[in-house]
Amino acid sequence: MKRDVVVAVSFLLAFLFIAYAVASKNVLGLGGTDLRPLGEFYLSHAFAHEGLTSHSPEVVTAIVWNYRGFDTLFETFVFFLAIMGALSVLRLDEEQLKQARELEATMPHRQMDLIVRATTKLVVVMIVSISASIALHGHLTPGGGFQGGSAMAVAALLLFVAFSKFTLERKGLTLGHTISAYALGLALILATVLAPVFLYGGRVLQINLLPGETGLFNLDVGEYTAVTFGFLTIFLILGIPEWIFKVVLRRELK
Amino acid sequence: MIELHLLILAIVVSFGFVFSYLAMKEHDLLKALALSSVQSTFFALGFYILAAPDIVLAYLAIAVGAYTALVILAISKTERYEVGE
Repeated sequence: MKRDVVVAVSFLLAFLFIAYAVASKNVLGLGGTDLRPLGEFYLSHAFAHEGLTSHSPEVVTAIVWNYRGFDTLFETFVFFLAIMGALSVLRLDEEQLKQARELEATMPHRQMDLIVRATTKLVVVMIVSISASIALHGHLTPGGGFQGGSAMAVAALLLFVAFSKFTLERKGLTLGHTISAYALGLALILATVLAPVFLYGGRVLQINLLPGETGLFNLDVGEYTAVTFGFLTIFLILGIPEWIFKVVLRRELK
Repeated sequence: MIELHLLILAIVVSFGFVFSYLAMKEHDLLKALALSSVQSTFFALGFYILAAPDIVLAYLAIAVGAYTALVILAISKTERYEVGE
């Protein structure tokens, strides 16, 4: 116990010392207020409406989806691969899903308090509207598709906790639907990325050729849909209790 | 010499550090998860002071919402208390 405290305090002191050296004494040369050439390029071109512009006053989104667009595109593919990997490890076929649903129906029915349910309803409406404003204004204000999508996934999780997974599945939020919506979001991203090639004879991801802010807006909406439903897919499949998995897999062995 | 926002940053991040230490030492995994959420909130404040609102929006939703839910699901498939030592 005592050794832990010594280690923690010495880490804290070292951390504070490095922070002080970087912030006040400028040992790494990161400080200063002058712009470097690259930063100046981004700031002067992002909203210029000519040349290598993104038609966006929000330089962060312009960098994320246009100037460094391939990074984000491949990040989306990595997210896709992670979700497909999880799905293929935890997969259940049609018949097994039906068995799992039957087993879930035998579980004792428990309900959250009225206060919790009523508060959740109010809060979920607020979170959904805020996530929509984060994502759909992604090219104007801080935020973007990923941020809005993860906020939306949190709203769905709250519903999940307060009303149980089965209620949501009865209302239509099944695995098939979430995967379809995820694919729709990815298709929108791919269409926007390839549109300059087919419509304007440009290069892949050259979205400054598209009229106005269409490019960034479409990419934000696509990412919003993809991230929301990607997260939901994972939560839906992980939300199946462990004993049901075991029963279903044992039946497969027989 | 020392500017006010840097001082606030140092205080906030130190609090985050303390909470991450507490989370590591906690044997009840659900309590450790709650402590780690508090730590993420402090770090999100730190990101805000560093003028990175894009990171704050993603970090809060992931670290307090999605990450917590994933770890709770993982804990529900194993045991709640860490044993040994």
